[in-house]
Amino acid sequence: MRQTILSVVLDVEPQSARRLSGLIEEFKKDQEPPGAAESYSALKQGVPALHFMSMSVFESPSYDPIFVIEANFDGPPGPFWAQMEAAFGVQLRPMLRCCKRPADGDGLTYDAVTKPFSRYPLAPYLEKRTLRPSVFHQGNRGLDRDRILAEGELFLATRAALAQPSPTDPNPYRGITAAEIHRKLRAELLGRFPWLAQPAPARVSWLERLTDWGQLVVFAFFALFCLSLPGMALAPMTPAGRYIVGLVIAVVVLAILLARRRAVVPGGVVPARPRRLTLPNLSTTTIVAGVLVVVAYLVIASVIGIGVAVLMTGLDVDDSLRLSIKVVGLGFLSGVFFMAPVVVLWLRWLERRDSSQDAPPVDERLLGEMARREDWIPQNHMGSVVLVKPGILRTGLFRVGHRGLGLLLRVLATDGYLGSMRTVHFAHWAFVNNGSRLMFFSNFDHSWESYLDDFIEKAHMGLTLAWGSDVGFPPTRFLVLDGASQGRKFKAWARHSMAVSRFWYSAYRDFTVDQIERNARIACGLRKETMSEQEAAVWARDL
Amino acid sequence: MGAGSVIGRTPDQLPAQRPSWKLKRPHDAQTQGIVVSGFSDLPAAKALFLMCDWPENGPGAAIVAGKGAWLKALAAVAPITDSDGKDERAASIALTWTGLQKSGLSAEALASFSQPFREGMYQEDRLRRLGDRIKDEWQRPVIEGGPRWSGNTPVKDDRTLSGPDKGEPPRQVITPTTVHAMLLLYEKDAKAVQDWADAVETALVAHNVKIVHQLALDLQLDSKGIAREHFGFADGLSQPIPFGTDDGGKDDSIVLSNGQSAPRDPWHGVPLGEILLGHLNAHAEDAPGPLVPDDLLARTSDLTQQGAPEGTFNFGLNGSYMVVRELRQYVGRFWKSLADNAARIRAHDPAATHVTADWLAERVVGRNVDGHLLCPSGFLPPDEYDFPQNAFGFLEADPHGHGCPVGSHVRRANPRDSLAKDVASAQTLLDAANNHRILRRGRKYGPPAADRQIDDGAERGLLFICLNADIARQFEFVQQTWILNKNFATLYDETDPLVGPKGGFTIGEQPLRRIVNVETFIQSAGGEYFFLPSLPALKYLASL
Repeated sequence: MRQTILSVVLDVEPQSARRLSGLIEEFKKDQEPPGAAESYSALKQGVPALHFMSMSVFESPSYDPIFVIEANFDGPPGPFWAQMEAAFGVQLRPMLRCCKRPADGDGLTYDAVTKPFSRYPLAPYLEKRTLRPSVFHQGNRGLDRDRILAEGELFLATRAALAQPSPTDPNPYRGITAAEIHRKLRAELLGRFPWLAQPAPARVSWLERLTDWGQLVVFAFFALFCLSLPGMALAPMTPAGRYIVGLVIAVVVLAILLARRRAVVPGGVVPARPRRLTLPNLSTTTIVAGVLVVVAYLVIASVIGIGVAVLMTGLDVDDSLRLSIKVVGLGFLSGVFFMAPVVVLWLRWLERRDSSQDAPPVDERLLGEMARREDWIPQNHMGSVVLVKPGILRTGLFRVGHRGLGLLLRVLATDGYLGSMRTVHFAHWAFVNNGSRLMFFSNFDHSWESYLDDFIEKAHMGLTLAWGSDVGFPPTRFLVLDGASQGRKFKAWARHSMAVSRFWYSAYRDFTVDQIERNARIACGLRKETMSEQEAAVWARDL
Repeated sequence: MGAGSVIGRTPDQLPAQRPSWKLKRPHDAQTQGIVVSGFSDLPAAKALFLMCDWPENGPGAAIVAGKGAWLKALAAVAPITDSDGKDERAASIALTWTGLQKSGLSAEALASFSQPFREGMYQEDRLRRLGDRIKDEWQRPVIEGGPRWSGNTPVKDDRTLSGPDKGEPPRQVITPTTVHAMLLLYEKDAKAVQDWADAVETALVAHNVKIVHQLALDLQLDSKGIAREHFGFADGLSQPIPFGTDDGGKDDSIVLSNGQSAPRDPWHGVPLGEILLGHLNAHAEDAPGPLVPDDLLARTSDLTQQGAPEGTFNFGLNGSYMVVRELRQYVGRFWKSLADNAARIRAHDPAATHVTADWLAERVVGRNVDGHLLCPSGFLPPDEYDFPQNAFGFLEADPHGHGCPVGSHVRRANPRDSLAKDVASAQTLLDAANNHRILRRGRKYGPPAADRQIDDGAERGLLFICLNADIARQFEFVQQTWILNKNFATLYDETDPLVGPKGGFTIGEQPLRRIVNVETFIQSAGGEYFFLPSLPALKYLASL
């Protein structure tokens, strides 16, 4: 089943901010009754679709506080909000009353929801105020909550079965082959876990994959088209030969300008292992796929161009075809060899003038509040809001970059790995306040320090792309270099942008992403009736 | 497990010695000798824990000058060794935050130290991350009743106690003994070091500085000339190795002992700034260190302004942060528990006749008693210097932990490339692991156990000492994210079998892994974060 990641952002009435914080703390206390065997049982049973949820209030010197509900759940939003309303409508309504009345079309719904003694459903209002993420990532794609819990129980049961409590009797699982272990274990557990008799539900349907790929290809077409636009405007008027000569001259000039500016800004830092802007080792499949996309673009654009030319210029089909191919082809060449370097040069010009914040003001009290709430279970949570750098190029690149990164992650990171790290359960970025701020939420494994160290060491290029256009970010080069690899500065900046996660819920507190995958592999193996020796040997390593 | 360079063989016993790294001028004369050497040719040593017993310069009080004079008196009796060559005897000193405060360092300067040092090791949230204490309960890796000594750093209580932000009042841990400084003395034999310690005591008493705790740290080389920790394992075999840039520039500070340039070791190479403050570190900047204000005292000292922003002097240059934890080891419990476990395994699996206490102990540590790494075919052969091989990775030879178990101590303390998901990302993961190395300089204390199976009740263990420039990213990271992580590298609900609390321990095997239950064999009796000042910084402190 597909998971949904979203956040609801509401402006808070400043004079009600304290009350709101109090309501969230009360909600939290309700979920953790002292002395109860299990906490969060209301959430676990009342909202079975929910994986992770958080409630935070972000304060800022430039904006009124905002109240954010972040939710990561199975299936579409409708049923989820219905469950939330049924379980917690009574607690949520006063929180909504602390928020401002929206100035846009949702004002009437707000009135209906918040008037005294109102019983109007909350779900429609919350759905309307939902923000869709620009980039999101999921560690265990396609596993719904109940399945994760069930496979977790199965894992613990396999442990108990294999342990052999008696200190003196031989263990029946020793001294036999892996396939026999599989057979025995399945026989022992099938009674308690009858669902093992059914095949595993598909995690990611082929339709979903097709859609993801399709969206990425359409995005690539759109990007190529936009880059080609200025060139395409010029192409009908200029003879092809002259056009190409002009292009070559422009390319040479740009190359020289770029080469002179590729060095690190004085005061910025050169990494200990200088990483040049070399192309990453692209596999042949990637190169072939890239070439196919370009060819497809050229063909489709030309075909559309024929139609446009026939309509606009009244030429016959042959001439239109020639015109269309010329415009699209020259436009594409100018896009790749002229517009793209111009954009990069412009970006570099801006990067050299950026103000990075070397020492964000440290609020030790806030740091203490955060430290107090972290490191109780294997998972942790962070939420941060930062200002976005202004400017046409910045905004354009940022939005396009986010969209592209989001689509790319959907296609590449299907096994949960971001580069070589797999510690994120659910994470997303979203633009708030009309695009003037960028919000980031993450539910991850291990400590905050190790999480950011993971990014700094293993995935800093993607992170620099996603966060680099924010005010104060450590100096970047060419949009993806440096940036997050300057570890200490990046961590200080990231901490400074965080708010205390007042309420945070995880449906499976003890499992890391890797562990959930391990549980899934064990369960998949046990669903099979028989396994070959080789398969079983690999499977048994996970037990 | 925590000791520093412990192979103390005489020159004629060795085929050739691997050249070690050393500092270039002027840093060698400014840095304390313990950074470059474990003083393995000075087998007798003592750790003296000092307390400055005067009421002035306490928390919140105005600073009284002249309280640094005890360091001057100390320098007369025990001059602190530098790094420019072997000496007849050696001394090293490090101070806690409260010790620096007592000696009269200004509040401004004290605030410029890194956060872990300023808060102290026993800050409430830090204790949880280090696995020592959760809320009000001391955990198993700490001795009964809690630790005996620390710096007793005062808790800064600025949390709001009313309204929606109301939290619980802070939990301050106060240990019975307060330690302001640790002095390490290294000599040729036990009598010499004891005489020296007595002379130090006499000199310091006149300045109201008392020795509140002491440990005799002796290498006790065995018949083969190898120093082992109390469980019997050779220790201190793997250390980070700083490299030189060889370009004559500001960052070219390392050279080999034979004068040749020091290239980056592919497995253990780290920038010098990982160990020494003020030098280029793994995050491509000079490791930030504490600063003192630009006043008359600073100008007349040997401190430099190089690397310090305008208006300050670079107090931290060539200094480091030192983590000290007194770890008690229970030798009898260790060997008896493993013998029982081995018997239980053989009862469960009659085919497992190879499983003995020694076999299990090797798997707990990850190396055999002589220091050779476990691998699927047995042990790694020694290297060209007849030393246990240390230039290895785990991913290609032993990805599933069938030789060296995935959760063994050696593999947890430095995973190298073993956390990579495939060979393509092995180098990235190795580089990432090398961002968290610590330089160990500890030594064992207490009498050797006569019979390893019997618990004679004597106090023995390891005085764990490590140097790192960034406590949070290095020592605390290793402790929290690797050693005590219950979900380390696809394991579930188990921690380090040697250093962690009792629990399960996975030994990888085909087709089915074994999970044995290990006890708590090591407990911490005290600890703190210290600052190891450079020699100019020490002189500055003495003039306060």
